[in-house]
Amino acid sequence: MADIGTLTTLMGDAGLKAIGAGLAIAGTGLASGWAEKDIGSAAIGAMAENEALFGKGLILTVIPETIVIFGLVVALLIK
Amino acid sequence: MRLLERFRGKKPSQSDKNKKGNSNYAYAATRVRAMKSKLLPKESYPRLLNMGIDEITRFIQESEYKNDVDELAMKYSGGDLAEHALNRNLALTYDKLGRITTGELNYLISAYLKRYEIWNVKTLLRGKLYNASVEDILESLIAGGQFTYTFLSELAAKATYQEIVDGLRKTEYYPLLQKFDGTNLAYIENELDKVYYSSLFEVIGEPKSKDRKLFARVVALEVDVKNLSTLFRLKKAGLEHPDQIMPLMIEGGLDLRPEKLAVLPYDEFINQLQKTQYWDAISSVVIQDTASLTALESRLTRYYLESATTFSHASPLSIVPFMDYIIHKNNEVTNLRIIFRGKEAGLDDNLIKDQLVVI
Repeated sequence: MADIGTLTTLMGDAGLKAIGAGLAIAGTGLASGWAEKDIGSAAIGAMAENEALFGKGLILTVIPETIVIFGLVVALLIK
Repeated sequence: MRLLERFRGKKPSQSDKNKKGNSNYAYAATRVRAMKSKLLPKESYPRLLNMGIDEITRFIQESEYKNDVDELAMKYSGGDLAEHALNRNLALTYDKLGRITTGELNYLISAYLKRYEIWNVKTLLRGKLYNASVEDILESLIAGGQFTYTFLSELAAKATYQEIVDGLRKTEYYPLLQKFDGTNLAYIENELDKVYYSSLFEVIGEPKSKDRKLFARVVALEVDVKNLSTLFRLKKAGLEHPDQIMPLMIEGGLDLRPEKLAVLPYDEFINQLQKTQYWDAISSVVIQDTASLTALESRLTRYYLESATTFSHASPLSIVPFMDYIIHKNNEVTNLRIIFRGKEAGLDDNLIKDQLVVI
């Protein structure tokens, strides 16, 4: 069993960066999903009654996508 | 979960009775708001007042009630058609509220909609007692709540009120209905209302979260509005003895203390009301002594409707927008019914206008 110190030495800088980038994407992805869940279901609710709300609903639903885009940017910067 | 229950063949509304489980607040509340935006705008009421009955039926046919009018056009005509269409639409709308909600929300809504079960029980008993024809009774039934239209029309077709009471054996109202002997209808009706409100308050329980508190507040406000209109009627009739008044009061009001108001004579009763939140809404009609109770009651209803809307904005993802929608929808149907029944009876337009609560 290698301890964490040995592992990090084994992995090197590139490995740690990859883990960091992965964490950035994972966290922001989950956050976007969580935020979009309610907005999306609300948008569907409104759309079920009034189809003309499709455009507005779609735009409001994807607004939290900005969070995951920030995560992506951070991930690319780390690389 | 709901889908799984469907596959297992359970009815969601029955299995959700444990008031637990996730509710789809975001979806359902937004949908209900969109439904509310489809209610008739207030500008359409002056137009409706200028129309004849056939035009009104036509207007209804071109609005949200299209399907209902089309469906029933084969069976009924004129005012009856409109009446049945409105009732059918109301029942379907409430059924839809039950279908689009899950969990706790569904549980609370079905508890709230029990008022239509009580309405139907009252209509059936009243109709049978006064020998109304089956057709006339059917006209006033609204199949909201747990009773289906088929079940209700079977009950309406029974010959006597005893058979109706027997038909309701499996319901929670049976113990109370057993006391009905054909002479104490008023007592039974009051008791049914009390049972409804006490069971509703029981469902709400001790409100802890903000939205439950608002829900309790809206229900309590409604109780106050009902008590206040009863009190006004009794006071106008000159009753002052608490023994006569208190049995008619519903418990659980918000601002009003019926036990204090019951003993006061009319003038002091009015003075006491000035301290309550309802005074602003009713002051202008109460001051004129000649004003009718109709004007007063429609002011109170308007106040209740407006407060419910305000509360629903305070807690957008809760049961309150649903109550707001339910009472506004009910108000719309009542308004339409007042208009075409008034027209049918040849009432003056101004008289009809006074009865309407237009928001």
